[in-house]
Amino acid sequence: MTLVLAICVAVILTVSIYLMLGRELKEIAMGVFLLSHAAHLSIIAMSRSPIRGMGEIKAAPILTEPGPPVDALPQALILTSIVISFAVSGFLLTLIVLTGRKTGTLNVDDLSREQMPTP
Amino acid sequence: MTNNFIILLIVIPLGTGILSLLLIDRLRLARLVGTLSLMSTAAISIYLLTQLYHDGAIFTSQMGDWPAPFGISVVFDSLSGLLLAAASVVALGSYVHSYSTMSDALERRYYHPLMQFLMFGVNLSFLTGDLFNLFVAFEIMLMASYALLTLGASRRQMSQAYKYVMLNLIASALFVISAGIVYGLMGTLNFADLARIVAEHKASGEPLPLGFRAVSLMFLFVFGLKGAIFPLWFWLPDTYYTTPISIAGLFAGMLTKVGIYATLRTFPMIFAQMEAGQLVMPIIAVSAAFTMFLGVLGAVSMHEVRRILAIHVISQVGYMVFGIAVMSAAAMAGCLFYMIQHMVVKCALFLCCGIMERYAGSDDLNKIGGVLKRDWLLGLLFFIAAMSLVGLPPLSGFFGKMVIIAEGWNGFWVLSMFGLLTGALTLLSMLKIWGYGYWGPPQGDHAEVPVGARRVRRYRSGYVGIGILVVTALFLGFGANPVYKIAFTAGDQLFNTYDYRVAVLGEDFAGPNIGPMRWWELPEVMSAEAPGDDASSLDSASVGSDALADGNSTDDHVTAPVEWPDFEGESHAAVDSNTPDTH
Repeated sequence: MTLVLAICVAVILTVSIYLMLGRELKEIAMGVFLLSHAAHLSIIAMSRSPIRGMGEIKAAPILTEPGPPVDALPQALILTSIVISFAVSGFLLTLIVLTGRKTGTLNVDDLSREQMPTP
Repeated sequence: MTNNFIILLIVIPLGTGILSLLLIDRLRLARLVGTLSLMSTAAISIYLLTQLYHDGAIFTSQMGDWPAPFGISVVFDSLSGLLLAAASVVALGSYVHSYSTMSDALERRYYHPLMQFLMFGVNLSFLTGDLFNLFVAFEIMLMASYALLTLGASRRQMSQAYKYVMLNLIASALFVISAGIVYGLMGTLNFADLARIVAEHKASGEPLPLGFRAVSLMFLFVFGLKGAIFPLWFWLPDTYYTTPISIAGLFAGMLTKVGIYATLRTFPMIFAQMEAGQLVMPIIAVSAAFTMFLGVLGAVSMHEVRRILAIHVISQVGYMVFGIAVMSAAAMAGCLFYMIQHMVVKCALFLCCGIMERYAGSDDLNKIGGVLKRDWLLGLLFFIAAMSLVGLPPLSGFFGKMVIIAEGWNGFWVLSMFGLLTGALTLLSMLKIWGYGYWGPPQGDHAEVPVGARRVRRYRSGYVGIGILVVTALFLGFGANPVYKIAFTAGDQLFNTYDYRVAVLGEDFAGPNIGPMRWWELPEVMSAEAPGDDASSLDSASVGSDALADGNSTDDHVTAPVEWPDFEGESHAAVDSNTPDTH
């Protein structure tokens, strides 16, 4: 199970880094969102059972198979982190919309050409 | 020692922020409430500092009375106390300054609540006792800073803001990943508990878990990005360049220091110990040299006051990182002192630059001149602040630099030489602003502007704001002794973490008192190497990790400190009952 999670995290990270290397702000933003997903998934891997061997992922309590409780702290961390990244994503999208409106471009190269001297 | 009043330092900005949301159209009232809030946090933190002045006590508050590693701890020690007091004073200065330099329209765009939320995040990050709440505090602070950075949403701001936002988002994601890995490796996120585990590993000579080095490297990246140290500083000059001046001053004074604070809090205690130290400390030392030197070279080459000051932030951060790199109690005290004096002085310089811009219509040194002739008061304030930054002897910068450079002299003399050279170049760039901007014949747009008390009155609150900061800077210079006493306590407590652990975890769970924790003093099982012999100590580290891998005991000795006595009986039963299903 940890292996599956690790592969998921690796794939998401790869995609997100690929997107972040783009020249469009929208692409970079998508990359950043995916990066936070990868972060959350990687924390799930830490949510191992304190009783069975380390590194083994416990089934969620809603599954029919009964078992010892899972360490809930990483899930609390993820929940907090999801809320934060949700808020920040909203901000980032707003920022991108405003950047587009004010400067007329979303291309990073054009934006860096915007650096004007002080009026 | 439990002292629940420290939570006020977090609650007051939060409450005021919510209150100022309601007062958004009543600017005078909002200003009054905001000023009172900042004054009260400054007063509370200074009062608490006087309480711990004599015995170096550490005040803690456990949220909900949950004992330390399980609940959320809030810790007020000498380190966070000094920084809280300095941060409140800096925020107060720039806030008062903004009355006269920020337009009413901008103030109505939620400047007042954002300012309070920023302080909420900053205070929380100074006070929090665990890694995850540090992340949350960073996010609160950053969220407010994103909004303040784009306040007004002018074209120039919008074309630069994305860099800051994106980079910080990436750093935050890495922070979450690293915090998760730390929890996976060590089973706790509480600083004191992590320090206990590190101390136990040191005492018993067991190597730390393998991933620890990777994690400490990731944290160095995250904190380094927030603190703008050498390879990660590129975002800073552009973003501080575009914001309204009082916000730029506040950011330059405070935000990078929060990153340095996080490094200072976690690295000497936890992430730069044993094997991780061998990996991380040389990187920190090299980057300190580059940060100091390249930053000041950038400042010398620039011609706009704001850019000079912004790039100077980087160079000064180098001194602080230098203090961390030396990692002795006195060097960390010097680093702390330098941090607080730099917060105050740098903000004062930015605020001076704000008024200067108003007079001259520009901050380009080629276009302005003779400000001193028109306004001797501004010239005086700027001169004191600039010389404090350079570090001329009776002023505050001197004491910070002196301690760091003197401490670095044995073992890190190359860095000390860089530090002295940087000091000289700092003087050069400050004199450049002084010579072009203040001295010389009046030049450019402002030559025709009438001289007189009328304009001074118009920017009166601006002068008050700068005055608060300059007086504080003078106090830090002439009253360096009491401040240094607290700073040395902080350095000692960072260096020998036992006091901190006892204060947070309690006597029984504090772990062994192994004395000062220099990272290269490895337990006997490894080898006790001198700091210079990096190659051989790295060998010993790899030997240690091989042994660890051979023993296949990664999971056993890294076991979480959390004990689960209740499940012990059930666990075997549960495992047994589940085994048939898995086969």
